Amino acid sequence: MAQQANQPLPNGHTLEEYTIDRQLSLGGFSIVYLATDPEGTQVAIKEYLPNSLALRNNGSTKPVITPEHQGAFRYGMKCFFEEGRALARLSHPNVIRVLNFFRANDTVYMVMEYEHGRTLQEFIQKHQGHISERFIRGVFTRMLNGLREVHAHKLLHLDLKPSNIYLRADNTPVLIDFGAARQTLATDQPILKPMYTPGFASPEHYGTRKDLGPWSDIYSVGASMYACLAGSAPQAADERLKKDTLAPAMMRWDGQFSDRLLEIIDWCLNLNHLYRPQSVFALQKALVETVTPPTPKRDPHWLGRFVGKFRKPPQ
Amino acid sequence: MRFTIYQESRVGGRANNEDRTTYCYSRDALLMVVADGMGGHHYGEIAAQIAIQTLADTFQREAKPMLGDPFRFLQKSMTNAHHAILDYTARHKLKDTPRTTCVACVVQDNVAYWAHAGDSRLFLMRAGKVITQTKDHSRIRLLVEEGLITEAQAENHPDRNKIYSCLGSPTPPEIEFSRKTPLEHGDVLLLCSDGLWGITTGEQMAVALKGANLLQVAPMLLDRAEIKGGVHGDNLSMVAVRWEDSYVEDASSSISTQTMSQDEITTRLEEFGRNPAYKSDLSEDEIEKAIEEIRNAIDKYNPKK
Repeated sequence: MAQQANQPLPNGHTLEEYTIDRQLSLGGFSIVYLATDPEGTQVAIKEYLPNSLALRNNGSTKPVITPEHQGAFRYGMKCFFEEGRALARLSHPNVIRVLNFFRANDTVYMVMEYEHGRTLQEFIQKHQGHISERFIRGVFTRMLNGLREVHAHKLLHLDLKPSNIYLRADNTPVLIDFGAARQTLATDQPILKPMYTPGFASPEHYGTRKDLGPWSDIYSVGASMYACLAGSAPQAADERLKKDTLAPAMMRWDGQFSDRLLEIIDWCLNLNHLYRPQSVFALQKALVETVTPPTPKRDPHWLGRFVGKFRKPPQ
Repeated sequence: MRFTIYQESRVGGRANNEDRTTYCYSRDALLMVVADGMGGHHYGEIAAQIAIQTLADTFQREAKPMLGDPFRFLQKSMTNAHHAILDYTARHKLKDTPRTTCVACVVQDNVAYWAHAGDSRLFLMRAGKVITQTKDHSRIRLLVEEGLITEAQAENHPDRNKIYSCLGSPTPPEIEFSRKTPLEHGDVLLLCSDGLWGITTGEQMAVALKGANLLQVAPMLLDRAEIKGGVHGDNLSMVAVRWEDSYVEDASSSISTQTMSQDEITTRLEEFGRNPAYKSDLSEDEIEKAIEEIRNAIDKYNPKK
């Protein structure tokens, strides 16, 4: 049976002290609304509503949860609380702020700050393949400040990708959607459904997930940078483990971006987690090092160029 | 808090197991207990069970998420356990009171606090060495301290199992407390009954546990001691924890309490006669508490501008 999508709450609906303006996004686990608080400030409200377990029909506000799904629904709610708990403790300009948390309509809601902007994903789609190195370095260095804060709280994001990096109007990045953020503790328990996005999830995301660590988020950072250059997600890690057809950034964009940036991308995208930067700090340090502009090799002398033509091309 | 923990109790060569172990942890505090019910008296296992249950119950009530005063907690709950055993004796009109040794350790804020009565021991191991341990409340220990007999003589002395302090005896127990001991990353705290330390010394265990995976080495230590103990070997039990500070390679088996809610407590304790592996569901009450806690965290960390 095809899975039905959940009906969002209608526009203009009043939820506690907030008024819903419209639906922002619909995921398998939740619906995000744009709403206005009593002071007229816009906020984003995330509604816990896994569509495989709870179904809201057109016209009603409360979802229907069958008794056999009640247990799983509550388990998922626990995960939603974990997300709220994790975010509430973080206070960083590059991490989304939680403003409120409440219970209504037999489910739970998380209110978050909202600012005009777009996701990095939208930005990539708009500027297909024409994103400057300066932009990439600027966005990722600041985004990594936020990720550092996340890791400092011994949390992992685990679903980093361009659509979870939100750019404010001034292009400062904000990490959003910590729905997958779990502590390794949770891996011993039955997981409702492991969440990851092919292309951005690290090899450790698949299988037993016992090797997940900061380096797993770092793989996703590398994949997101790769996507900025390529305009689309890189090959999924599980596919790469079978047959790696991902062209290294170093080969694909040689000369168009600094060697250092391309090296960093390939470094993050190592399939073996031990060969990646082991901490966000190490990655940031590499990113802010002085930029060496691409240096096209040129033999200045005409004789050198002439001889070069007959020489074997370097391997 | 982040740690790896292991507990096991084995019957050894005896007919029944009178040892009991437990550990519980909240977000910010950890409790471990070993109690060795005394074989010479009746119902040793009941005394041991009462002891660990009293400590675990008190911990569950008070560690929200931290204990106010760990030493006071240990003192109060061990004394309560002692009286609970006496009450049990009176209620069931037993001729002799069941008795048990008890060693209990609390860790919170990276500091360990422990207390003991009897000859169940706690070892603190760092870098393959025992850096501190409890002193048994046994006559033999006193003789060694006074220099009347040597350690080697003590090992085979006929009175080596006679102890002068325990829970449940008509004379009130002598409970000895540790100092506040700060833990370092990688430290191992090992609580065990005499069935284990009587066969494998603390030093040998420290060497075996150095840098090793606790979850593999700890059962191996019990295996070895059980074999060496032979067909008439004593019950052997241990609770061991490796304290961790930060990200470690093998993170899947270690426990992190960061996202536990303030009132959540996990307890590992064998109960009498039934399997405690029931399914815990999120109750209405827990939902309200989780929301309450998140709201408090928002107010604390992200106050409204």
